[in-house]
Amino acid sequence: MRQVLCAEFLKLRHSRVPLVSLVAFSLGPLGLALFMWIAAEPGRARNLGLIGAKASLMGLAATWPSFLAMFAEIVGGGGLLLLAFVVAYLFGREYAEGTAKVMLTTPAQRHLFVLAKFVVAAVWWACIVAGVLVEALLLGLLLALPGFTPALAVTALGQTLVLAAVAFLLTTFEGWIAILGRGYLAPLGFAIGTLALGDLFGHTGWAQWFPWSIMSLLTGTAGPRTNTLPAGSLAVLALTCALGIAATMAQLRFGDNTQ
Amino acid sequence: MSAEVAIAARSLTKRYADVTAVRDLRLTVRRGEIYGFLGLNGAGKTTTIRMLLGLIRPTAGSVEVLGEPVRPGATRFLRRVGCLIESATAYPNLTVRENLEMQRRLTGAPPEAREETIERMRLAPYASRRAGELSLGNKQRLALGRALLHHPDLVVLDEPANGLDPAGIVEIRELLRSLSREHGVTVFMSSHILTEVAQLADRLGIVHEGRLLEELDREQLEAKVRAFLEIGTPQPVQAQAALAAAGFPEAEARPDAVHLFAASERTPDVARALLRDEIPFTGIAPRREDLESYFLRLTGGKR
Repeated sequence: MRQVLCAEFLKLRHSRVPLVSLVAFSLGPLGLALFMWIAAEPGRARNLGLIGAKASLMGLAATWPSFLAMFAEIVGGGGLLLLAFVVAYLFGREYAEGTAKVMLTTPAQRHLFVLAKFVVAAVWWACIVAGVLVEALLLGLLLALPGFTPALAVTALGQTLVLAAVAFLLTTFEGWIAILGRGYLAPLGFAIGTLALGDLFGHTGWAQWFPWSIMSLLTGTAGPRTNTLPAGSLAVLALTCALGIAATMAQLRFGDNTQ
Repeated sequence: MSAEVAIAARSLTKRYADVTAVRDLRLTVRRGEIYGFLGLNGAGKTTTIRMLLGLIRPTAGSVEVLGEPVRPGATRFLRRVGCLIESATAYPNLTVRENLEMQRRLTGAPPEAREETIERMRLAPYASRRAGELSLGNKQRLALGRALLHHPDLVVLDEPANGLDPAGIVEIRELLRSLSREHGVTVFMSSHILTEVAQLADRLGIVHEGRLLEELDREQLEAKVRAFLEIGTPQPVQAQAALAAAGFPEAEARPDAVHLFAASERTPDVARALLRDEIPFTGIAPRREDLESYFLRLTGGKR
């Protein structure tokens, strides 16, 4: 496993994709900070031609609790899409670049490649989350938002990490779809589709049972916000993650590689 | 399976929906030999190679490689196998050295294997260059280097001469010959450059429309190729007609020549027939079919 993991990390050397993904995701907190500034300074924002009036109408409060709650939503919802991109890249590039046959004709057991790629995705995602957490903290300090307490920071950090973890658990199926579709597009389409379905189920009474709706329980977009998930939802998340990994392993082991 | 057999395929069949890519293929490759696997485009060569390496599952039949059955997910046998399939591919963002380092790690080869391979494949000037920036020939060298890096007992090469210049082709031919003769490595190669295969292979397998038409060694090939007279003439069609009228029906018109079969001993009669009909000719020389001609005759292809 160690050698396969080393090989999977080595594959990212000189690649700009990890940096691009970090820069792209860092635009989320930056946009959020802009809204906070508009809400805090509606007069100046209006003078600059920004959407001050609209931001005020949204009832946005320029405070640390509001900022951190919305930041957690960005990490959760945006993370689903970004992770889909990361997993699609890690698995899909082998087919897009024609290297799948190189990987699959080495003596390493195929399921190890699947595990190693998900470990790489987890580390990649953890780095991005850590990066945007620091960015959000700096932006909040720069805006001098009111309402910061150590307890709030701990709670917000916990929420962000839980949402980041949930996002990760929901992206294992993208690995399977990338191998099945032999490229990047199919898993990205799958991610957008499940995001839309998750939103749909989030507005029904089934949010806690449909994997891609569970996120909405934590972000509060499907009713009252909760910090703890029911045991059934945790089981659904764990099962979804495990099934996604198992399907990816099975595809690599039993599927024909005609690339 | 005998210890003398490197690859044994039995009744190998692969169907895709209504297309049968390979049907009932039986193949035996002996250890230490160079086996040339020939076929037209779409004959089933690459599908067979993929089944040998466990990349696709046969619809029916079985394969054993170096004494181990090839089953879904079986990768242990690949420790002793090096391969290059169709196009030479590498991770484009990694340098030559990094690509080889990855292969070294995944095959469990010793640390010095990477630099040895760089030297052996003459890749030293490009070792720090990214694979995506290499010429086609150097990409092919990298792919061949990757296949040979861990000193495998069996090398499976699909079109190994792709993209190589003439000097590179000779170099790789010598390398493969030395691997086989001096180190006992089995080489299974497919190529569309038949002259290349003819010079290198100890045995040949000719596949056509998914079936193995023939398996033969050098001596058998020599016995099967036909002798003929090559008649140089600016009027090949008229010459063919004149020869047919004179009792030589097995004449084939070629550009600026006629190939006359089953007449090796009758050069004077041939010359007389041509002179009688006033067909100009520049010479009559005995020749033997080459592998290409034999292959095309067997598969019904056109020259």
